[in-house]
Amino acid sequence: MKTYLIPLGLLAATAALAQHEHHAPPAVSAAAPAATQAARPTARLWTIQPLLLPGRAARGERASALLRPQGIAAQTVTVFAAEGPAERLQVEYPLAPEGARIAPATPKVGNYHWVVAREESAEAVRVASTAWYFGNPGDSPKELLKLPKHELEIVPDPLPREHGSYRESEKWRFLVRFNGQPLAGQPVTLETEFGSRSTVLTDAAGIATVLFPRDFKPAEKKAGGGEHEGHSPRRAAFVLSTTTEANGRRYLTAFNYTYGQDGDRNRSLGWGAAFGLIGMLAATPLLRRRKPTASGEHRDA
Amino acid sequence: MLKTLFPTLARFRLAVQLVMLFVTVYGSVIVGTYMADKISNNLPALSCAYDQMNGGYCVLIPTQHIIHHRIGEALVRAQQLTFGMVLPLLMSFVAFFAFFFVLGKAFCGWVCPLGTLQELIGKVGRRFNIGLRRFDGEDLGSVKRVRPVKWLLLLGLVFILPLLTGLGVTPHSLGNPYCDICPSRVATTLLTGNTEQLALRLGDNVSFTLGAIADLLIGFMIVGALAIRQPFCRICPLLAFNAVFQRLSPLRLVKKMHENCGKCGICTEACPMDIPEIAKEEGHKAYHEDCTLCGRCAEYCPQDGVIQLKWGPFALFSSSRDYYKDKVKGELPDGTVKPLKFVKNATKPTSADA
Repeated sequence: MKTYLIPLGLLAATAALAQHEHHAPPAVSAAAPAATQAARPTARLWTIQPLLLPGRAARGERASALLRPQGIAAQTVTVFAAEGPAERLQVEYPLAPEGARIAPATPKVGNYHWVVAREESAEAVRVASTAWYFGNPGDSPKELLKLPKHELEIVPDPLPREHGSYRESEKWRFLVRFNGQPLAGQPVTLETEFGSRSTVLTDAAGIATVLFPRDFKPAEKKAGGGEHEGHSPRRAAFVLSTTTEANGRRYLTAFNYTYGQDGDRNRSLGWGAAFGLIGMLAATPLLRRRKPTASGEHRDA
Repeated sequence: MLKTLFPTLARFRLAVQLVMLFVTVYGSVIVGTYMADKISNNLPALSCAYDQMNGGYCVLIPTQHIIHHRIGEALVRAQQLTFGMVLPLLMSFVAFFAFFFVLGKAFCGWVCPLGTLQELIGKVGRRFNIGLRRFDGEDLGSVKRVRPVKWLLLLGLVFILPLLTGLGVTPHSLGNPYCDICPSRVATTLLTGNTEQLALRLGDNVSFTLGAIADLLIGFMIVGALAIRQPFCRICPLLAFNAVFQRLSPLRLVKKMHENCGKCGICTEACPMDIPEIAKEEGHKAYHEDCTLCGRCAEYCPQDGVIQLKWGPFALFSSSRDYYKDKVKGELPDGTVKPLKFVKNATKPTSADA
């Protein structure tokens, strides 16, 4: 029995350290801005909602990230982690002119972290929120997302998987809650970097099912010929926002992230099927019956 | 009860393969969205990262990414050498070896979704009485000619090109070139109803070419597997990856020499990888780099205890004459089974298919 437990223990021990590297970490990673910059109308503001936008990161930089609040007068940026020392589960980072340089709970902890910028007055509370994926192993964001982090929240249900992303033409669920309780019939507005805007109402469980519009504009050709680099899909920003009032205070919360271009764009199923058929044709000579040989006969031992 | 459900090792293996095919293609339905990522971190040798419904990823994708993103970049940024290069690579390998310690090369013969698909297609071929083609020197030539391909793919596409890309020598689209030509990526995503991986990326000649190769391979594999057993496994770099460390796993094939060894050749005939060494050699030489630990050679060896599947000191399965006699009643060593009735009427089997 012990013999079998050893490998299982070894698996558990190495689990925290072995990690797949990302193609392009979802949302606002170092790779994402570079991939989308060409197509972005960066000069103009595409929304008045509060946002947390990624700054430029050095190549290979994974231990920290630069986030810049936009449309919100916040003093700090707060990062929530799913695991790590107790004092690192919620950390406030001061805002410099270029933004806040955030870090994971510890250098070894990765996976999703929740990031919040907050502006508060007697009349209103405005919150910008996003998720950031640090490219190391870490606890899944399930418990992190369950934990109420501010009054009015838009919570992805779920966040995209490691190699996944929100994409054009896909429907994704977001939970809207106030003080930890789901809000039914609450309007949630989606705005995208390419100018689309739509509003949906949450259902009885507080879930808003959001359809990402197919609105990517054609990318500018790069000098090398390709529209984007490598295997990372093009991404653009979106923001979901909702407002409510309680006890004479107005609450506005926004969740911004990125969505990817529909996988079928810039791809040809026809060409793929054609090469598949050529492969099939190339194999058909193998189906011809060969002449019987002695080696094919069954021997009785 | 178990004996009724799984009267033979082959039946038991098929059940395991079908369960693992479900887990590796649709596993997140069971283990949950995020848990699928967690399992990938723990057992990085499961299924394709391009399939968003699976329960884990194949080890080749983190290997390429670590070499591309971590080693290449870390070499450029030498100060990060220890934490950026050595540890991630080491830990990814350690996790792989931990998994490998339990399963050994049985991953190929019992778990791999592409291996299972090829085997299922081969069973269809046998049922439709399509003649089996073999790498036996008389038919498709020596199997030894094919063997180096998997090593070249492992070295070139899993290690060298991702490293060159990380160093900035080759274009970014060559960052994970093996995944880009891997037919499993196309097959498992098609099984979830997703045609994106079959479709070729336009506007980038490198990506288009790599994708075209993957589609050629999957097309060739689908038809070729009707006649050749496990056509892609023969060149799969994961088999080579496993072969490098096959002596480290307690799960292994053990062969003792018998006076009939090398004469009857039934074990080689039963071997889906056409390994002649299993008939002629013993010990380490019989447990060949191409072996997928499927156990067919042990099932079809007519001599008691000559071929065994062992985990450490424990014999999990031993060849026996009685088992062999029962086994050949249902299926001949080369996989030939009674064809479907209408096929049998249409095409009379030759003596070789008897």
